[in-house]
Amino acid sequence: MGHLNIEGLARLVSETPSPEEKQHLDDCAACRLELRGLKEQTDAIGSLPDLRPPAGDWVALEARLVSEGLVRSSSLTLQASRWWSSGWLQAAAALILFLGGTALGSGVLASGESGDLAQLGPPQGMELIPVGSQAQPISNLADAADAVNRSERQYMDALLQYRQILDSQGDPTVIGDPTVRFAALEAIVAAGRAAVQQAPADPYLNGVLVSALAERQALLHTASLTPGDRVF
Amino acid sequence: MTENQLIRQACEGDGLAVRTLYERYAPRVYAVVRRIAGEEDLAQDYAQEAWIRAIRALPTFRGDARFSTWLHRIAVNSALQALRKADTRTKREAPMPETVSVDPVEGDVLLGDLLERAMDRLPDGMRQVLILHDVEGYTHEEIGEFLGVTAGTSKSQLFKARGKMRDMLRPTQGNGADGEQGVEAWGI
Repeated sequence: MGHLNIEGLARLVSETPSPEEKQHLDDCAACRLELRGLKEQTDAIGSLPDLRPPAGDWVALEARLVSEGLVRSSSLTLQASRWWSSGWLQAAAALILFLGGTALGSGVLASGESGDLAQLGPPQGMELIPVGSQAQPISNLADAADAVNRSERQYMDALLQYRQILDSQGDPTVIGDPTVRFAALEAIVAAGRAAVQQAPADPYLNGVLVSALAERQALLHTASLTPGDRVF
Repeated sequence: MTENQLIRQACEGDGLAVRTLYERYAPRVYAVVRRIAGEEDLAQDYAQEAWIRAIRALPTFRGDARFSTWLHRIAVNSALQALRKADTRTKREAPMPETVSVDPVEGDVLLGDLLERAMDRLPDGMRQVLILHDVEGYTHEEIGEFLGVTAGTSKSQLFKARGKMRDMLRPTQGNGADGEQGVEAWGI
């Protein structure tokens, strides 16, 4: 019996050899080696990891989901993630690099100390200031974007947990009450400010604070557009 | 919040629930769609289409299978249908290279990259069967349903695909008649 061909050997990766094939494999080191290589190749293919979608994937999908009416456009996550995932992501990544790769994350305070950094594009009414230098060094845009992406995921998890807590407290319509909502956002902003003061380079805390400020701003903006209604 | 609660809220158009499901499963969906597509440019569109279909079909999810399994099948079907609709790709018309021109370097990441690139160069049918069987773990019967072929055809395509991959991954300098050196050169 001659050498087994490559397709025949590929079959033996997952099937039992016939007696003739087994006899040949016992006698032929070359075919044994080739079969071993094929098995290792198959194992390697089976161990390939999942792949992260390219940046901006969610933003494009979200836009389509909204346009097709598959999700509500007024949800907290959509408002927050729209600027966070696109402009904010890039601005934050650029900011991290701009600061010389020494500060991961930036403090967000409304105290008016920011100067030039405010022009990077945070939501109206908020200012970014560079604070802290104890974070891990980041030397390129991809790492910076990864860091911001990670903090965004943490933020989304926190947001989900926050809503779960609100849901578990009873009447879900309370969440939609603007007065209650504003008070809750004020509490988050206050807690966020205190946390950022303590850990100014923490991207998660910064993310929570930025989001709470943006949401509060959006709520105030909504209120200002309805002069005839007494929102608060 | 349990997955069923998330799904229920996503059905009602809750953006946060949809986003959470997306964050959880996007890499899995993108991986299978990207590999079936065979090229990056198509993959993003295919992945988006898969998610749109899945979110649309969410109300039909009964929980008979795991959500990840259900979603994965939608992604596979969506990518295969999109690929069928796509124009004939010039890349497929080009002759398949004998080997993938990458210098051998150690490391799982580079090996993974090498495998991905070799798979991209397989003809569509072989690549789809190889991915669905050896990467995703579907049976030949299931693959037959996906592709509209018999289980026997699926098997035949799989063995050819494995052989082509072996040929492509065999370094040229070790490409002897029986491939002995090539087996060892890549460690696979």
